[in-house]
Amino acid sequence: MDPPVARPLTDVGLNRNVRIERLDGPHQDCARLLDLGFTPGEEISVTQWAPLGDPLVVRVRGALLALRKREAAWILVE
Amino acid sequence: MSTDTARSTPSPSKDHVVCLVGMPNSGKTTLMNALTGGNFKTANYAGVTVSLLRGRSKPEYGTPRNIVDLPGVHSSVAPSPEEELAVEVIEGRHSKVKPDAFILVVDATQLERHLKFGGLVGRQGKPTVIALTMVDLLDRTGQSVNALKLSNALGIPVIPVDPRTGRGVKELFASLDGLSGMLWMGNALSEVSSEPVVAFKQVQDLLRRSGAVTRTAQPDSLTSRIDRFVLHRYLGFPVFFLVLISLFAAIFWLAQPFMDMIDGAFTFAASSVTSLAPESVLVRFLGDGVIAGVGAVAVFFPQIMILFFLMTLLEDSGYLARGATLVDRPLSYLGLHGRSFVPMLSGFACAIPAVFAARAIPARRERLLTIWILPLMSCSARLPVYALLLAAVLSGAAWQAGIALAAIYISSLLIGSLVAGVTARIFMKHRQPSLLAMELPAYRVPRWWPILRMTWARGSAYLKRAGVPIMIVSAVLWIISNFGYVPGAPIAATPMDQSFASELGQKIEPVLRPMGADWRVGVGLISAFAAREVFVSSLAIVFGVDTDDEQTQQEGLLKQMRTATFADTGQKIFTPASIIGLIVFFFFSLQCFSTVAVVRKEMNSWKLAGLQLLFYTGLGYTLAVVTVQSLRALGVA
Repeated sequence: MDPPVARPLTDVGLNRNVRIERLDGPHQDCARLLDLGFTPGEEISVTQWAPLGDPLVVRVRGALLALRKREAAWILVE
Repeated sequence: MSTDTARSTPSPSKDHVVCLVGMPNSGKTTLMNALTGGNFKTANYAGVTVSLLRGRSKPEYGTPRNIVDLPGVHSSVAPSPEEELAVEVIEGRHSKVKPDAFILVVDATQLERHLKFGGLVGRQGKPTVIALTMVDLLDRTGQSVNALKLSNALGIPVIPVDPRTGRGVKELFASLDGLSGMLWMGNALSEVSSEPVVAFKQVQDLLRRSGAVTRTAQPDSLTSRIDRFVLHRYLGFPVFFLVLISLFAAIFWLAQPFMDMIDGAFTFAASSVTSLAPESVLVRFLGDGVIAGVGAVAVFFPQIMILFFLMTLLEDSGYLARGATLVDRPLSYLGLHGRSFVPMLSGFACAIPAVFAARAIPARRERLLTIWILPLMSCSARLPVYALLLAAVLSGAAWQAGIALAAIYISSLLIGSLVAGVTARIFMKHRQPSLLAMELPAYRVPRWWPILRMTWARGSAYLKRAGVPIMIVSAVLWIISNFGYVPGAPIAATPMDQSFASELGQKIEPVLRPMGADWRVGVGLISAFAAREVFVSSLAIVFGVDTDDEQTQQEGLLKQMRTATFADTGQKIFTPASIIGLIVFFFFSLQCFSTVAVVRKEMNSWKLAGLQLLFYTGLGYTLAVVTVQSLRALGVA
């Protein structure tokens, strides 16, 4: 069986628990995302989209973090 | 005005200092409030524009200790100036604040993230206790945390506290007393890696082994429900605007009676001094210069306190971060940050607290850009000026002036946005926008006492940092408006029309003519650098308005303005064209030395402050000239 293809967090429906596969973006920004708790293997979910379609609110390790779309797109999930 | 260490013992480095450390929104500052009984002050250290809170613990918690509340650290990767300072202190690299022990504040609903940060603290090998906060929120997330098991697994005392009620605070201090005497032994936190992926794994394993946490966390249902409403696709913005409108209403209407009271008190004090003491230069300096000068600025204090109070309230309840989320898209398009809306909003009261409020923006580039456009926000010191000028140009009903004023306010926001967008695209395009990654804290019912305490800390910091430049500027401007060269004596007290200011005004008259102003208006413009609304009172002085009779200063001044003419040509000075020119000038010009001084201090350099002064004042002048000349070309006098 083929492994599921990784897709950006921005493509995931609301309140669906997904597992982070890897981060793919500017080094410094990804380092900060890792530090904030977005580590591979961790389960996260998108809880809300702001009315203007950006940013989105992501639940990670019990915290709610607002991420811009471009930032969320660096988070690739299974 | 006292210094920040006046009440506590000497230099911080000689003292035993307990540092409160933790991530933002962990309840650190509320704990600070509980530990010190509200007895803390903001402290600034040379070269750093970041304020720390310093205080002394209440005697009922045992031997009083010096406590420093460090800024919350979200992440030590690409840190904000606040985070950088906190990390520097924690790692013992700061020259003034040397921690002897730590109180690590840990949010019970986010143990993984907070304990992972705790690794940084644990690695320092200093006595540490953990204050476990937000325990009351565990009901909402359906968890329970066993502090004893957690403490055993970590090898560090873990004390559940509720700083809002004071529960557990005494025990927290007692456990600190027990530690500081003995040699600090290794603990599980000190073994947490500095590499995040490894660190999170270690913390997760540790929590699993400890058995301290029952059940996995469920989303906080109350917070999700409120968020579904305030971030709702259609309701989100109406709610946000309602909050903004209430804020404006409070700042302008609620503050009005207090402002009138302060204005009355200062006018009374100034006139008592000048009428009771024998007439002399010193008495007039004291009365009209110092007291009236301080009064001109002190009238804004109620507005600023109300602003600080409401901002703290919004921040504490958790709504501020949601507001920032709503507007992040348009603001980040302009190169700003979601949180920029707070300083921009504050700028409509006064640019000085707005500059302080910009500290809430974690990213340097966005903070710089926000401070850059703050002078364009229509501050309330412009209001009396606009009121006078609009009354002079619109003879019609009050509603016309109301509409014109609303248009001025909205334009100031739009033009500020335009300037931000242009600056970001042209001068800052080499700088990447910073990460948003903004935490939305759980909603909580605000507690009044900590909010009032924080409001006071912010208000007194404002007085301390802005009060001195304001006093100096108003004293200098009074001196140049009341002294001049007199044949025989080099410098003497003179009436205003022979003062240095009028000399300066006459020197710059050729520059002022294109915008339709004479030297007397020039004197008004120069004196307005103390505070914009001083324009009105100095115009009244140079145009010789007699306020002894029944009419108010503004009515008397308006009468004078209708008949005032240029000395040489005999043409009217205040025509629709020249008045609109003045409005344009006040709209753009950075006529406020206090703002310049505060920006200089905040950025620790003259670069931005000087650039703002030159750019905005130059822009104001140029556009005023263009406006006046094109209106005249179009046939408007």
